[in-house]
Amino acid sequence: MTAHERALRELYARWLDRASKAGFALCLCAFIVYAGGLLPSYLPASELPRYWGLPVSRFIALTNMPHGWGWMRFLGYGDVLNLGTVALLALVTPVCYARVLPRLFAERDWLQVALAAAQLLVLAVAASGLLAAPG
Amino acid sequence: MDAAALPWWIWPIALFAVSFAIGIVAVLAGVGGGVLFVPIVGGLFPFHLDFVRGAGLMFALAGTLAAGPPLLRAGMASLRLVMPLALVGSIGSFAGALVGLSLRVELLQTLLGILIVGIAILIWRTRAADRADVEADALGAFLRLEGEFVDPAAGMKIDWRTHRTLLGLGAFAAIGFIGGIFGLGAGFANVPALNLLMSAPLKVAVGSSGLLISVINSSAAWVYLERGALLPLIVVPAILGVMLGSRLGARLLGSTPAPVVRLLLIVVMLLAGLRALSRGLGVWA
Repeated sequence: MTAHERALRELYARWLDRASKAGFALCLCAFIVYAGGLLPSYLPASELPRYWGLPVSRFIALTNMPHGWGWMRFLGYGDVLNLGTVALLALVTPVCYARVLPRLFAERDWLQVALAAAQLLVLAVAASGLLAAPG
Repeated sequence: MDAAALPWWIWPIALFAVSFAIGIVAVLAGVGGGVLFVPIVGGLFPFHLDFVRGAGLMFALAGTLAAGPPLLRAGMASLRLVMPLALVGSIGSFAGALVGLSLRVELLQTLLGILIVGIAILIWRTRAADRADVEADALGAFLRLEGEFVDPAAGMKIDWRTHRTLLGLGAFAAIGFIGGIFGLGAGFANVPALNLLMSAPLKVAVGSSGLLISVINSSAAWVYLERGALLPLIVVPAILGVMLGSRLGARLLGSTPAPVVRLLLIVVMLLAGLRALSRGLGVWA
């Protein structure tokens, strides 16, 4: 294994470690805020049992819960804030890939650059909802 | 007992307890846990399968995010091996999530039941193999799917490379697709694909499988999030439960007989799979 590969591995591991820990900590804090009722809920937890047995499309239609990226406008609600922190966990991998990409460029490791860039593109398309038909 | 009559807070607490138990068993049995979480929670809790699958993806993602750094540093997860496989797996997972969220729940339950029973049989029948003598194929050599790690048990440095790269890429696209449909981490399939098909050493296969899940599940998780299929009241207790359970499982690892855990896993999976199958077929709703 080359020094470049070792450094790359360490860089990815370091960012994965930091980003995951930050994500988990924020997720836990937001859950305490939500479950403890420190912020109002967009949909009160006590009402959830009426809806959580429904398919997601019906759930959205009946509760008018924000979906897509619509939740970004309602972060003042405890449940939506918690959803935002759950989304942070799904952001950890793109953050790590984005962090190693400049290093790969600097090393002119074009194959890995192409793979990392393509991975970021796939994640961006998935997150954008561009290809998702309405639920 | 009527589930609707219970107070709402019973369910997150019960989910935390079940996830904690799954976290222990998953570590002891060497599986990701999503393969237990989705059929068990889907079969025993009142949540719709859409939300259970969304939580299952985050459940598997959380476990692998936490485990990734030490595995990378120990050389047991290889970025060079993970990057091309994760790319095709992510595309498959993304497509699987789109398909999964458009299928009828009865069909999903039936397919899930068949899948889980099939995986239980796969785990029962599969034996690991470590082959250090494989020759890299042309695609594997081009992608430089090779590496080295120090095996503490053997007390030596092991150089490895993989082969059957094209088949491996196809396998990971399929595994990602299935994982996306059912909200599974698919470690049950990653390890045999890496170890038996591509001939990566078992420890590299297990370590890289975790890192693969963290990348592949991220793309499907965005689809579930975008569709509104992630409910924090389900996701967060599941994540916290599995993280704490995994830690206890890791402590018990040295003192628990592996064959007993393996048998327990197979029995639980068979029961959970049959439960999903019975719900899907309307035999026992």
